Amino acid sequence: MTAGVDARTAPPAVPVAPVGPPGELVRTGETFRVVGTSISHRDFEQKVRGELSYADDWRMPGMLYGRIVRAQLPSALIERIDRSGALAIPGVHAVLTAADVPRNAITEEASGLGMDPIVQPVLAADRVRYQGEPVAVVAAETAAAAEDAADRVLVDYRDHPGVFDPEAALAPDAPLVHRQGNRLVEWRLERGDPDEALRTADAVVEGEYRTQFVDHAYMEPEAGVGWIDGDGVVTLRVATQVIEHAREIAQILGVPHTKVRVIGTYMGGGFGGKEDMTIEPYLALLVWATRRPVKMVWSRQESLLARQKRHPFTMYYRTGVMSDGRIVGETVRIVGDAGAYPLLSPRVLFAGAVTAAGPYDVPNVRVESTAVFTNNVPTSAMRGFGAMQVVFGYESQMDRLADQLGLSRTEIRERNFIKKGGQLPTHEQLDTYVAVRETLQTALEALDEEAGSGDAALDGGDTNAHYLVGRGFACGIQPYGRSRFFADRASCWMGLERDGSAVVRIGVTDLGAGQAASLAQITAEVLGVHPDRISVHIADTALTPLSGGTFGTRQLYMSGNAVLKTARELRDKLAPVATSLLGVDDPAELEFADDRVAVRGGADRFLSLAELSGAAEERGVMPFHLSTFEAETGHFDVRTGRGQTFPDFTFGTHAADVAVDLETGQIRILRYVACHDVGRMINPQRVEGQIQGGAVQGIGYALSEEIRIVEGIPESSLFADYLMPTSADVPDVRAIPLEIGLGKGPFGARGIGEPPIAPPAAVLANAVADAIGVRITELPITPERVLAALRERRGVGADRERGGPTPA
Amino acid sequence: MTARSLVTLELNGERREAWVFPHQTLMEVLRDDLGFTEVKYGCGEGLCGTCAVLLNGESVNACLLFAIQADGCAVTTVKGLSEGADLHPLQRSFLDHGASQCGFCTPGMVVTAYEFVREHPRAGREEIRAALAGNLCRCTGYVKILDAVEAYVRSAEADGSP
Amino acid sequence: MYPSLFDYAGATSWPQAVQLLQEGGEEAKVLAGGQSLVPMMALRLATPALLIDVNGAGDGEPRRESGRLVVPALTRHATLQRSVVVRDACPILAEAASWIGNIRVRHRGTIGGSVAHADPAGELPCSLVALEGAVRVLGPSGERIIAASNFFQTYFTTALEPGEVVTAVEVPVIASGRGWAFLELIRRVGDFALVEAAALIDLDDAGQCARVRLTVGAVGERPVDLSDEAGAVLQNGSIDEASAAEVGRRASAAVDPPDAVHGSGAYRREMVAVYVRRALLAAAARAGRGGAA
Repeated sequence: MTAGVDARTAPPAVPVAPVGPPGELVRTGETFRVVGTSISHRDFEQKVRGELSYADDWRMPGMLYGRIVRAQLPSALIERIDRSGALAIPGVHAVLTAADVPRNAITEEASGLGMDPIVQPVLAADRVRYQGEPVAVVAAETAAAAEDAADRVLVDYRDHPGVFDPEAALAPDAPLVHRQGNRLVEWRLERGDPDEALRTADAVVEGEYRTQFVDHAYMEPEAGVGWIDGDGVVTLRVATQVIEHAREIAQILGVPHTKVRVIGTYMGGGFGGKEDMTIEPYLALLVWATRRPVKMVWSRQESLLARQKRHPFTMYYRTGVMSDGRIVGETVRIVGDAGAYPLLSPRVLFAGAVTAAGPYDVPNVRVESTAVFTNNVPTSAMRGFGAMQVVFGYESQMDRLADQLGLSRTEIRERNFIKKGGQLPTHEQLDTYVAVRETLQTALEALDEEAGSGDAALDGGDTNAHYLVGRGFACGIQPYGRSRFFADRASCWMGLERDGSAVVRIGVTDLGAGQAASLAQITAEVLGVHPDRISVHIADTALTPLSGGTFGTRQLYMSGNAVLKTARELRDKLAPVATSLLGVDDPAELEFADDRVAVRGGADRFLSLAELSGAAEERGVMPFHLSTFEAETGHFDVRTGRGQTFPDFTFGTHAADVAVDLETGQIRILRYVACHDVGRMINPQRVEGQIQGGAVQGIGYALSEEIRIVEGIPESSLFADYLMPTSADVPDVRAIPLEIGLGKGPFGARGIGEPPIAPPAAVLANAVADAIGVRITELPITPERVLAALRERRGVGADRERGGPTPA
Repeated sequence: MTARSLVTLELNGERREAWVFPHQTLMEVLRDDLGFTEVKYGCGEGLCGTCAVLLNGESVNACLLFAIQADGCAVTTVKGLSEGADLHPLQRSFLDHGASQCGFCTPGMVVTAYEFVREHPRAGREEIRAALAGNLCRCTGYVKILDAVEAYVRSAEADGSP
Repeated sequence: MYPSLFDYAGATSWPQAVQLLQEGGEEAKVLAGGQSLVPMMALRLATPALLIDVNGAGDGEPRRESGRLVVPALTRHATLQRSVVVRDACPILAEAASWIGNIRVRHRGTIGGSVAHADPAGELPCSLVALEGAVRVLGPSGERIIAASNFFQTYFTTALEPGEVVTAVEVPVIASGRGWAFLELIRRVGDFALVEAAALIDLDDAGQCARVRLTVGAVGERPVDLSDEAGAVLQNGSIDEASAAEVGRRASAAVDPPDAVHGSGAYRREMVAVYVRRALLAAAARAGRGGAA
């Protein structure tokens, strides 16, 4: 890996080999100038300097501070709200309740397939449906006064029956969270005849798997500043993944869409947690009511208490297999806890359903995936988006099948891997190369290599500790891009300045993974402008063409392609000017590189890009261009569960060795390898970073992270109680990005934002099972659960002596 | 005594004054009154390390120290490490190794690493790993942060100038 | 997120701190390192009307005084960890301090604050009881010294009377040859312990147990002194897997930890057996024959 390679030392200009179409293999010998190098962009230098201005770093003269009053009960009727105490506090300018909201509704038709929308109030009016739901919002001269005022808003509640378990919520007599019923959505996919296949299978393995609520726990809490600008536009500068929420905010205020502007800041992490609106409607209401600039920052504790979480899934798998290892049939039932409001639950359960059979071609399969309302905190998007929970299910099943048949754990997988042309449970065929087999082989070889280096031996800091060691691995399939039926689009504006520098305007939001920086690299590749001479202006509904939010691993695919398309079209627009000035006939003879356009092979025949820009404008060819990339579309039939779902998928395998302390149940990861086929790397260093960071988030999910909610009430909302890993809790994840099968992103890239978080839970469950001989089926894999499993093993009399990991 | 009092700080080598209420934390005063927004609010519990600054050379939670308590002290933030346009070699190492993703933990992470290497100029990777355990990062998985600090230690050793 | 308003007074001596505390009455709180108090204030779980900052009331350098190690109240955890005097005179205190929070917490947090806060999961209270230490307090009616075993009463409650402040902690110097261990069970590095065990062992010339001190922490309302239970098994016998495990079993039976967010009561009770055994064996491994001076 070429850490920190500066663009100035990047490979010299050479012709860019044509990139094959999606679905082909990466060709050897393809050479790029900027794509594929680990340059660092301007925003990263600002980050190490501490100069980047995040949402909370912005201030306005005369600014007020906002704070939300949140429901203290998970299910109750509001009898009365007394705001007199709050209004009496000096410096308090507004105490707003439901009656003060022009249109008190957040509505989003969440499935995209014509479901009845269920309205979520901005401020609860007569009823609260989860603990932490906003019931009022205040603005005051100081943050402390706003907090004082929020504490003094008195709400009288009357008990109202609630329901807290999704399966209990499906019972006919369960209390209703919404009058429409507790079943929010049920997706049903079916291919072949799974019942018959399971009847005739040589063996059937059944498994039930449970996952937990977890939090995004980005380091930057939700924040923003709002004001009314000179044209009467409510302007919000906020940490958001989706600036397009401006339209919903306008509807809430009852003003034209054009009267709300959202500026998205560089975020201190998003992971899906800033995909739904967070502070935006509250900030907008306070700005609207007070006509003053207002800042709102959620405390870490309210973020943990009340912002949406990842869905807990309960998954029931039945998998039928022939003695040679071929899977012949499978049924999967998924129940996801949507919490109190829909948000993106329908889509999350959809992604879970589509990928529920894993990267395997299962000829007979039925998936039922249900999202259920409860009076728990709402759940919605989080990195992995439904397709990650199911990995724990299907990859646990694969190891069980191997055990049942006496096959190796690689054999059982290799016999069933889906290939290009193979079908998902939706009947759709995969149309790009599937390199899951290569990722499996690579990951296992790398793990052997790491084990061979022997630096993670069991040093046993604890006296007389007794350990068992085990190895586990898991393969995954993760979509990238929005569902095809959304007909996704991304637009981009690009211009060449008089001095030959380039400007890119695009509505993309930057979560911190280098989204904007990657776009600069793509632009540099095509136009030949040095990356340092490119400015990428992002995320402003007033000034940048909209490109859709940053979520669903869609950003490189959508914005990357939009930038690539715009850059190519701009280049083609300017090429005739260059050919006429340089006296060549064919634009193909031109090479855009090193801040100039030159005739290939003609060392002295070139124009600087500054000269080209000026010459074009003189001739009336304006050196800028606006273009839109349209994603592949497709139809999905809800009734039959058939059709096209996602544009494409990313595949990968993670593998690990663990040591399990038989006395305490603690798990130590000795070594961890994560391998994904990413098609093409725009920036290898950031691809590695995504993989390492995603894997560690997945390890936290597997072993320690949990928001425990009892009867609708979280056991803790302290950050100290949210066990995301520290540097000392995890090993160095070795990231191995492969470039094998071209995907549908720019230059054949595949999305890599979400995929790395998905495998770790299954990897570690499989490794623990390998070590102790008993399987943990509920996350997180806590020491207590490990001890309980060990007890179960002793109970059945099985025993395994201490030994090395089982060969895969 | 809920009146404001005048606090004098030597902030990144420069003498600064601020009138503060007793309940204002150093984090709040640095961010809101003095414009040192690189000191980040991450949890307010002293857990996450995004508000870490050096107080007379020692890393502290700026969210858990009242500004009035820092009167007369030297406070160093990440901006105090770089000299004008030149990044401190540790910052340069963070940049070169891709140790920053969203960057929100970076200011606290860098000053913590700076302090640790100053005290332990020959630290190995496992010591660095333990030393940074009090600074959470949600993006990187820590590998590139450790790479960056380790490379800085090695280069400082080579230079003989930690 | 923001503490509510309060008055602030800085004490430049312990007598002044006592005077301020008397004047402030029940609404006054002592501020030392602030690493527990200030988060509680930020979350508005504590809303004192007056904070008496004692950081200027004295020094924070541990010293030996006639066979005892005196640790002034303002000694920071990081100082405990690093101090050559402490490492030499009472290494278990340095070890216990190293388990506290993160580096920033250890830079500010003080031993006086830690003992006055009396968190049952505190590392220092558990160690002090094992060490048979004492707490020096100053109040309106003068100074008194309270044995650690009496000082910690229940959750966040000590033997301090209104108007009293902790000025120092003192422990006997650990004789050379005395074995010690401090272990704790955590789910994540830097977190509060689910179980703590502190053990001190003296061996006789034959390598048999001459004296044992054993305390477990984080599993009840205050540190639990199990030295008698340990002595009943180990006294004049050898400390090996079997005997240490027997003490572990008895220790486990002697505690009844409540359920906590990160560990059920039943699990923590089971872990007491493991950590007691491990601590005893680790302490015995460090002990030298004839160490009982």
